[in-house]
Amino acid sequence: MRTSTWVVLGACWPALALAATEQESGAASPDRTITFEASEMMYDPEALAIQAGETVRFEIHNSGALEHEFVIGDAAAQEEHRRMMQEMEGHDHEHGDHGGHDMAEGEHGGSMPAVTVAPGETATLEWTAPRGVSRLEYACNIPGHYEAGMSGEITLQE
Amino acid sequence: MTTNNAAGLTLSRRQLLKRGAAFGLGASALGLAPAWADPWGQSNAYPQGAVEGNDIALAIRRETLEINGRSARPITINGTSPGPMIRLREGQDATLRVTNLLDEPTSIHWHGLILPAQVDGAPGISFAGIDPGETFVYRFPVVQHGTYWYHSHSGLQEQLGHAGPIVIDAAEREPFRYDREHVVMLTDWTYEEPASVFRNLKSAEGYYNLQERTVADFLAEVRENGFRETARTRAMWARMRMSSRDIADVTASTYTYLVNGQAPEQNWTALFKPGERLRLRFINGSAMTYFDVRIPGLKMTVVAADGQPVQPVPVDEFRIAVAETYDVIVMPEADTAYTVFAETMDRSGFARATLAPRLGMQAELPERRRIADRGMEAMGAHDMDHAGMEDMDHSRMEGMDHAGMEGMDHSRMEGMDHSRMEGMDHAGMEGMDHSQMEGMDHSRMEGMDHSRMEGMDHSRMEGMDHAEGQRAASPANAQGDLLPAGTAQPGSQYDQAGIGIDPDERRILVYRDLKAFRPWPDRRGPEREMEIHLTGNMERYMWSFDGRTFSQVDGPLHFRKDERLRLILVNDTMMEHPIHLHGMWMELENGAGELIPRKHTINVKPGERVSALITADAEGSWAFHCHLLYHMDAGMFRVVKVS
Repeated sequence: MRTSTWVVLGACWPALALAATEQESGAASPDRTITFEASEMMYDPEALAIQAGETVRFEIHNSGALEHEFVIGDAAAQEEHRRMMQEMEGHDHEHGDHGGHDMAEGEHGGSMPAVTVAPGETATLEWTAPRGVSRLEYACNIPGHYEAGMSGEITLQE
Repeated sequence: MTTNNAAGLTLSRRQLLKRGAAFGLGASALGLAPAWADPWGQSNAYPQGAVEGNDIALAIRRETLEINGRSARPITINGTSPGPMIRLREGQDATLRVTNLLDEPTSIHWHGLILPAQVDGAPGISFAGIDPGETFVYRFPVVQHGTYWYHSHSGLQEQLGHAGPIVIDAAEREPFRYDREHVVMLTDWTYEEPASVFRNLKSAEGYYNLQERTVADFLAEVRENGFRETARTRAMWARMRMSSRDIADVTASTYTYLVNGQAPEQNWTALFKPGERLRLRFINGSAMTYFDVRIPGLKMTVVAADGQPVQPVPVDEFRIAVAETYDVIVMPEADTAYTVFAETMDRSGFARATLAPRLGMQAELPERRRIADRGMEAMGAHDMDHAGMEDMDHSRMEGMDHAGMEGMDHSRMEGMDHSRMEGMDHAGMEGMDHSQMEGMDHSRMEGMDHSRMEGMDHSRMEGMDHAEGQRAASPANAQGDLLPAGTAQPGSQYDQAGIGIDPDERRILVYRDLKAFRPWPDRRGPEREMEIHLTGNMERYMWSFDGRTFSQVDGPLHFRKDERLRLILVNDTMMEHPIHLHGMWMELENGAGELIPRKHTINVKPGERVSALITADAEGSWAFHCHLLYHMDAGMFRVVKVS
């Protein structure tokens, strides 16, 4: 199993950045592990319920034929990410060459936790659910993947 | 007058699943089949009704019905025109009993389905047709899934609405998810008898083209391009005896464009709940009409082409050739109505439907685009004004394909060196004049085919720049090696949507975008190539392959059983042709290598050269033809025999 590193994405939600910092300093150890399957074009499970403040370790296995992302963020940030990625591919009409996409800090200064998983591989992501937010999405924003089905809802319970 | 046939909405399975999953349960834990397995009950999928099951009966009649509120005489299938959706399941054995209640023979061809030749439904090719009063029983295993359609393959019956959708549910999970689906079947209806339409086309090419340029157009063009340029362009079109506005043979001057049998004013409405993923199954069941489809305000993500899953492509618009199908996913988030706008390629009219959360809502119609003009780029050759070009070196130009370059003016070309131009194909260059070309060296030009270059004017060709010719690199080099499987042919335009489309305006689907998820089972490269030219005579309305109509050819094209063949299609005409092969997939070599998409119908643009790989595993005789109905009837048709 290959463990992926953090990819920091432009987003509008600073609380997540805070959570990420906690991860890296090793302050939080996972309360539970959630096993995820990513494939064409869906995640299994399709929705999650998580306690606010809970630290979760995601193990995401890509059982499909294409590369997939697993990105956590609110709907607006996900949409912004999607729009950026479509613009990136827009000129040469190429898909699938998105690996290592350069999504540096966005204008909002926040970040979205994300991993990219190659076909057949498994990646892990640790994440502490923020407080004060009731709903988040996880999504794959490689052009077309979200629209074709790769999204799910995280319900956060205080 | 009935306007909306959409049924009510029910709580979707997806909504139920979401509620279950909120407690950390996956779909399987709920003991429910996943959403893909049961799209039933999600739909008003298609308003003309649906038939399903292992034994389906279809009755074909000619009857009087209203179309757009006006009395019409379509051919109906089980009482509707277009006919009911036939819903099958991958893996089942289908039995379809077709009873002919017409006073002439009929047939049904299952377009895009892989099945034995004797149930393919092309009369005179693989079965005798269905006589009046008779019932023919089609039995075949269903070996695929996706969106397809069916239509008469007898004479011009298809023009009378003798067609309908086929939806085959997948045995395994499809590579996309959706909450609700709708069929969007586009057709072109005329209140004229099809035989009279054909007579009109034969008697006067351009009969239905009311878009000839006017004096006002001429003056406007002179202002824009100058008198000389305008006059020259006009003279070119005059030499070719056609108007640059002959984008379509048959236009809105006789056609009413329908969505699921409903005219634009009737505004067929498909319902959704905001936030749902909708799968729209677009089928172009027209006789003659290409459409450009968009839904202003929504991205459409293309997930299947000709029934076959493709890697998802988010687009703003797609062009759908006659007989093609595209499945798209849309996600209307807002509680608002959207217009599904299908503008005809020639811009003479449109079909229209509405997506809305409730019946009775509607959105604005987008502004119509101006009439498209066949510029020179539409002929597969760019910047064809080569006047004033001197001292060119054309050595080492091998394997160029200049097909479809008609009406070029190469005057004043001096001092050119054309040595070592090998294997050029100049077929289909008509009306060119090569006078006044001085000092040219045409030595060592081997294997060139200059057939059918009539009356060309190459005078005054000086200093030509054939940089564009780079893309016309050798299709098969001197040693006779074939291009690797999946490679785009030189002369293909897979990255272009075609005439009348501004690629900068919005993101348009092009063939280059289509990629399979995984390689198709037959990974062999081509053993041989078969090149077929799409040919025609506009003036006499004769359409043909390799210059010969179906009535002029001796026998079938021969595919060797189980061979891996590369079929190369070269369009020497000025029109798009949707080329359809029965019985076998065509893997469109769009440059996607191992992930080339497979199609049952390939659109070939004017002047374009395309190729497809075919595994000739389907024994028997099959139809191969242009799917423009009147082109097929005029002779653009061959039988392919696999043995």
